[in-house]
Amino acid sequence: MSLFDDIVDPTRGPAGSAKGRTALAARPGDLAGLRVGLLVNTKRNAEAFVQEVAALLESQHGARIAVQRTKPSIVHPAPAEMLAELRAEADVVVVGVGDCGSCSASAVADGLQLEAAGIPAVVLVSDAFRVSADAMAALQGTAGYEYVTTPHPVASLSREGVRARAERAVPEIVTLLTRPVVAAAS
Amino acid sequence: MTAAPEAPADLRVVRQAIEHCHAQGWTDGLPVVPATADDVAEFLATVDRDPDEVIGAQEHLDRRVTVAEAAVNAVMAGCLPGYFPLVLAAWEAVREEPSSRGGAWQSTSGPAPLLVVNGPIRTELGVNCAGGVLGPGFRANATVGRALGLLVRNGYGIKPQELEQATQGVPGRWTLCVGENEELSPWEPFSVAGGVPAGTSAVSAMLIRDVEYVDNRHTEDVEALLRDFADTLARTGAYLGMKHSTGGLLLGPEHAQVLAAAGYSRSDVQHWLYDHAVRAQADLVAAGKESHDVDPGPDPMPMMPSAAEIPIIVAGAANAAISAVFRPFGWSTWSGRSVPVPSPMTSRPEESTP
Repeated sequence: MSLFDDIVDPTRGPAGSAKGRTALAARPGDLAGLRVGLLVNTKRNAEAFVQEVAALLESQHGARIAVQRTKPSIVHPAPAEMLAELRAEADVVVVGVGDCGSCSASAVADGLQLEAAGIPAVVLVSDAFRVSADAMAALQGTAGYEYVTTPHPVASLSREGVRARAERAVPEIVTLLTRPVVAAAS
Repeated sequence: MTAAPEAPADLRVVRQAIEHCHAQGWTDGLPVVPATADDVAEFLATVDRDPDEVIGAQEHLDRRVTVAEAAVNAVMAGCLPGYFPLVLAAWEAVREEPSSRGGAWQSTSGPAPLLVVNGPIRTELGVNCAGGVLGPGFRANATVGRALGLLVRNGYGIKPQELEQATQGVPGRWTLCVGENEELSPWEPFSVAGGVPAGTSAVSAMLIRDVEYVDNRHTEDVEALLRDFADTLARTGAYLGMKHSTGGLLLGPEHAQVLAAAGYSRSDVQHWLYDHAVRAQADLVAAGKESHDVDPGPDPMPMMPSAAEIPIIVAGAANAAISAVFRPFGWSTWSGRSVPVPSPMTSRPEESTP
């Protein structure tokens, strides 16, 4: 017992709901014939980015775009009904693009929600927001959660610039959507 | 004055306790007052509130804060116990701001809550309303905002370069607390527009992204003065990329009195500014902001969303015709709701001097 044990800890508020590590959904062997869902926030170029990714998943990997939803709030994880729609209509989901302080964290939360619902998901985050994305993964109980980064900035890109970024990102996106899930590392 | 202890402890222990708080990551960079359970109880005794009442949540972060946690952080911020009712009311006023319930505390904008205090609580607590109102030197102004900032940091766990992603942040974040200079204002208190009657203590809050100086002391032409404000309000750099930005005035008493003497009510000033804080579409294109919306809007483009969404507050000294324009966060504006501040239940007037 030290003297300073009498100092009140200002961080000791009401307990949060203890979250266990999210078990990632089982991965398909490849994307051929699978339905791709898109979950976009409202950031400039987010919709273009996930659409360019999806087009490449169609042309290069035989998937097809089945459903696109836009979150009502950029800063909060997608609502339950939107997740249910994605679950009903998609086999894998592309989430993006986290390129601001709160939306990057919430994109990671979306990815984990989808995984928990059994849908393989891949989250796109601007590399300037790794810290925020990692912090959210840890908050959700899933430290070390893997996502795909694209160089910052995204919002100022032309459509051609977005397409070039999508091309660069697709191999890693495919890897994260198809690679067998490794037993959760702690 | 608090009586000095008869048997003074080794004062070096005090500094070690402060360093302990730094080491725990509990501070905003400045020293905090280490809080004991007795200190927290003393603060809680000033309000009729359940200590376990949840007064805020960031659901996406699974974090909640309580009245007791606010008291701990108010102690740490250097508040006096009598400030605690104002701290709780200010917290509520900030929570009324729509963006504070979203991602404001994690935002790259790094917005700052501007707190505006009205009514007798200003004199009861020594809240500065006059000279240097945006600066340091007054305990209530300096510590009330800081208490809220520590609560966000410690209670929500939102820290810079972690979940908080401010690109640069706003100078004065968590220290912008002003009293309205009601005594020199020609208009009704700001809190009246927020639904609290004149003469009742109240606090209002706006999340802002900057404060910019407007110096206009060489003309008696009221329209020239207003044009100076409109020019600052209408700058393209304040445009976030949505349909409108918003802006408000922190009027020095001299400017407010000049406007009132020329027959302008607060509402008249708001309408004049809405009509004149405009930019040609060509200006927006030149600044690369033409993509602000699918519909580019009229030409010239009103840069304020509406007259009513231009908050006007009177504060500062009557020693020069100087004012400031401030810029609410993004496209949101003031909630339009002021929060009444009860007097402390255990008043300690001898401790209220700043």
